[in-house]
Amino acid sequence: MKKSSAQGAEDPILQWVTFRLDNESYGINVMQVQEVLRYTEIAPVPGAPSYVLGIINLRGNVVTVIDTRQRFGLDSAEVTDNTRIVIIEADKQVVGIMVDSVAEVVYLRQSEVETAPNVGNDESAKFIQGVCNKNGELLILVELDKMMTEEEWSELESI
Amino acid sequence: MSRSTATATRPQLALQSYLDGLLQDAAVELEQELADSGLDDFEAAVLEEQIRDAQVAPRAEAPPLALVQPVEEVIVAPVAEAPPAVVVAPIAMPPLVEPLADVHRPTPQLAAVLADGRPDWAEEPFECLLFDVAGLTLAVPLVCLGSIYPLAGQDLTPLFGQPDWFLGILPSQSGNLKVLDTARWVMPDRYRDDFRQGLQYVISVQGYEWGLAVHQVSRSIRLNPDEIKWRSQRAQRPWLAGTVIEHMCALLDVAALAELIASGATKRMHNGQIH
Repeated sequence: MKKSSAQGAEDPILQWVTFRLDNESYGINVMQVQEVLRYTEIAPVPGAPSYVLGIINLRGNVVTVIDTRQRFGLDSAEVTDNTRIVIIEADKQVVGIMVDSVAEVVYLRQSEVETAPNVGNDESAKFIQGVCNKNGELLILVELDKMMTEEEWSELESI
Repeated sequence: MSRSTATATRPQLALQSYLDGLLQDAAVELEQELADSGLDDFEAAVLEEQIRDAQVAPRAEAPPLALVQPVEEVIVAPVAEAPPAVVVAPIAMPPLVEPLADVHRPTPQLAAVLADGRPDWAEEPFECLLFDVAGLTLAVPLVCLGSIYPLAGQDLTPLFGQPDWFLGILPSQSGNLKVLDTARWVMPDRYRDDFRQGLQYVISVQGYEWGLAVHQVSRSIRLNPDEIKWRSQRAQRPWLAGTVIEHMCALLDVAALAELIASGATKRMHNGQIH
């Protein structure tokens, strides 16, 4: 028992909520996910940054929804029945990220996660935490806190 | 890979121009040696002749590029029962790519460079693999290579925010291989977006998690170090070890390239050149 505890501490198992964007699978830390909503009408906010799709009403609270495709450098796509808005907490803010679909929660050992290549200067590359092979597919793990800069997070607060 | 006839002749021009650049570098080096050496008149004359030869050689008609052979004729290691190319069915896709050939050699990750510019693996005659990148034939020493993976039916997983030369990740039996667009590295000034079409193989670099995407794998040849014009100055394009005149191809030091990438030096890249 002690040995397995020690091993667990050395190689913790982390849970990741996986979602799809442009036929690629991404994972975010389950601890940051509050809930997953079906697509709902998003009210655009005039003058908001380009990465903001708009706001939604979540049980009386206004939640800003981020254009995840734009953040990831992908082309925009049509909304489908599988489109979801994942409500997350990042940088002490609650925001929504729109994704093509949400898949499942996967369990990954720290040792299974490979670091992503660090070869570019693009800011967006910094929030790739790592990659992992799971169920025959490559999963790209995203660090949500780094999805935007400090200035951008501050900008979101004022929407 | 299918290419138009116009494209098939243009690589020869591109190859000549590319090798012109390399040989002019060599000519500059020789001229500098001449100026600095303090040689007597006879020795100076010999060097002048060498300079003149180096400048004249590219103008000779380039021999036709060797026809690339199907990979079945390439196998340099005894892989009599090489695993078949991965067959991709629309639904049941195997999770990991099996290598077509393993070209493992125990080797240090980054070879020392001798005084004349040749890596220490080139002290004796060595085997090289020839491959084709957008019509340009390149040679890589087998000691630097890992395995050859087919790209047919495989999708590379792209990662956002990466440089243009990063094509994506290829899951393989030996781990996730980071694949780079070889054409962007070796011919940045002549690169065209359609060079991404028709990439058929990834050649992994021994000791690194990086692989080179290429259009065709040709054959292996044995090179004598004396057949190569080594680059003693590698401040620019450190991955270019030299030029193989007889085969009209450039010799890559892929370990130096992988080390360049792994060390993060590529962040200082601009238009394919390290600054």
